Amino acid sequence: MDWSVIYDYRELFIRGIMNTILLTAVATVCGTFLGLFISLGKMSSKRILRWTCSIYVELFRGTPMLVQILLIHFAVIPSIWGILYPGASSPEAIYSGFVALSLNAAAYMAEIFRAGIQSIDPGQMEAARSLGMNKGLAMRQIILPQAFTRMLPAIGNEFIALLKDSSLLAVIATPELNYAAMNVAKSTFERYPPYLTEAAVYLVLTLFLSRIVVRGLEKKYSTR
Amino acid sequence: MRIGTNWFKSLALVVGVGMLLAGCGSGGQQTSGSGGASGGSADKVYVVGTDAAYPPFQMLEADKISGHDIDVMNAIAEAGGFKIEWKNTGWDPLFDGLDKGTVDIGISSITITEKRKEKYDFSDSYFEANQLILVAEDSPVTKLADLKGKKIGVQAATTGEEVVKKAFGDTYEGLKGYDDMPSSVDDFFNGRVDAVIGDNGVLSYYVNKVKDKKFKLIKDDSFEKEFYGIIVKKGNADAINKINDGLKKIKENGKLQEIYTQYFGNK
Repeated sequence: MDWSVIYDYRELFIRGIMNTILLTAVATVCGTFLGLFISLGKMSSKRILRWTCSIYVELFRGTPMLVQILLIHFAVIPSIWGILYPGASSPEAIYSGFVALSLNAAAYMAEIFRAGIQSIDPGQMEAARSLGMNKGLAMRQIILPQAFTRMLPAIGNEFIALLKDSSLLAVIATPELNYAAMNVAKSTFERYPPYLTEAAVYLVLTLFLSRIVVRGLEKKYSTR
Repeated sequence: MRIGTNWFKSLALVVGVGMLLAGCGSGGQQTSGSGGASGGSADKVYVVGTDAAYPPFQMLEADKISGHDIDVMNAIAEAGGFKIEWKNTGWDPLFDGLDKGTVDIGISSITITEKRKEKYDFSDSYFEANQLILVAEDSPVTKLADLKGKKIGVQAATTGEEVVKKAFGDTYEGLKGYDDMPSSVDDFFNGRVDAVIGDNGVLSYYVNKVKDKKFKLIKDDSFEKEFYGIIVKKGNADAINKINDGLKKIKENGKLQEIYTQYFGNK
C-alpha cells in the first residue's frame, strides 16, 4: 500500500470533494422544490395533473439511477441542446449530473412530502377552511409546517442517499469524489489508499449531514 | 425489553451470517488460487480475460467475444498447443483477476510499459500502435502541446491518458477519463471535450463509424511507438513460454499478418 498517491493526486480529490458537495447541494434544493410540486400534483383533484405526476414518480423511482444518468447525459441533453442551439457544444458532464440527481431526488422527495402531508389529520384542513382560509393558504400555514417536522427524518435519509448516489456520476467523467478515487486506482494500481480515502470522506460528509444538519433541523422544528 | 433482546438477536444473526459468507468467500478464493498455481498439468485450461469494449481489437458480438486480439489469442493457443477459455472481465477487474489468480492470461490491447512490467510479465509484442489526437476539422491544433488548457477526453488508465498527464500534469483539470472509448468519442461529437486521444486502431475505427461529422486525426511525432503484449501474473513462466512459442509460430507462418489484414486492410 502506497499512501503517497493520495498526496500526489490531492488536487483531484479536493476538486472531487468540492464537486460532490456542490452536486448534492444543488440536487437537494432543486429536488425539494420539484418534489413539493409533484407531491401536490399527485394529490390534485385534476386527473391529468395527478396522472402526469404519478408517472413521473414511477419512472424515476422504478429505473436504476445509473441508467437515468447515462440516458440524460448521452441522449436527452445532447438532443435537447441540438434543437435549442444547433451546432453548439452540449453542457459538460457536471450539468448532466445536476439534472439527473435533481430529477431523481424530486421523485423520492415527492413521496416523502405526500406521506407527510397525508399523515396530518384531515380535521386540520377542515378547521382551517372553516376559519375562512382558502386551500392554498391552509396548506402553507397549517398543513405543511406540521408535515415538515414529521418528514425531517425521511428527508435526512434522502439527502444522504443523494450524496452517495452522486458517486454514480463517475461513469460520465464528472469530476466528483468517486471519479477521483477510481482514476487514481486505475492509474496507480493502488486500490486500498484511494478507495479507503474516498470511503472516509463520504463517511465524514454523511455524518456531518445527519448529525449537524438534519438533527439540528429536527431540534429546531420539534414540537415536543 | 423482550423486543430489545429479539432485536439484538436478529442483529447478531445477520452479522454472523455475513461473517460466515465473507469467510467462505475468501476461503474459496484461496483454494482456487492454489489450484491455479499447481495447475501445470497438460490439459490445463487457461482463463483468458479481456475487456470486450474496444473494437476492433475486442468487442462483443451478440453473446460472443470477437475482434483482432481474440483471433490472435485463439491462433496462439492453437499453434502453442494449449486450451483457453474466454472471460469478459472488463479492464480493471482483468488486472485484479490476474493478481487474485481467477484470470491466467490477459489480452486486451495492453501496451507494454515499464510501469506495468513492474507488476506483470508481458509476452512478446503482437501489435504496434501509436496515439492519435481527434479534433474538429477546422481546429488549429497540430500537436499535443496545442491542447494546453483545453478539455481532452481519454479512456481512463490507458496510454492515451498517460501522454496527457505527462504533458500537462497528473491532475490536469481538463483531463476527462472515461470508462470506455465510445463515451469519450460521443462526448467529443457533442462538444463536451475539445479533443480525444487514443490508440490509432480504435480511434479510427470509431470516428469512421460516425457519418456526416467533421473531424481530423492528428499524429504527433513526439508520441512514442507502443507495442501491445499479452500479460500474465509475475512469475508465471509456464504460460508466458507457451504464449511466446505460439506467437512465434503464427508470426512465421503469416497467420498474424492475415488477421491484421482482415481488420485493418493492407498496411
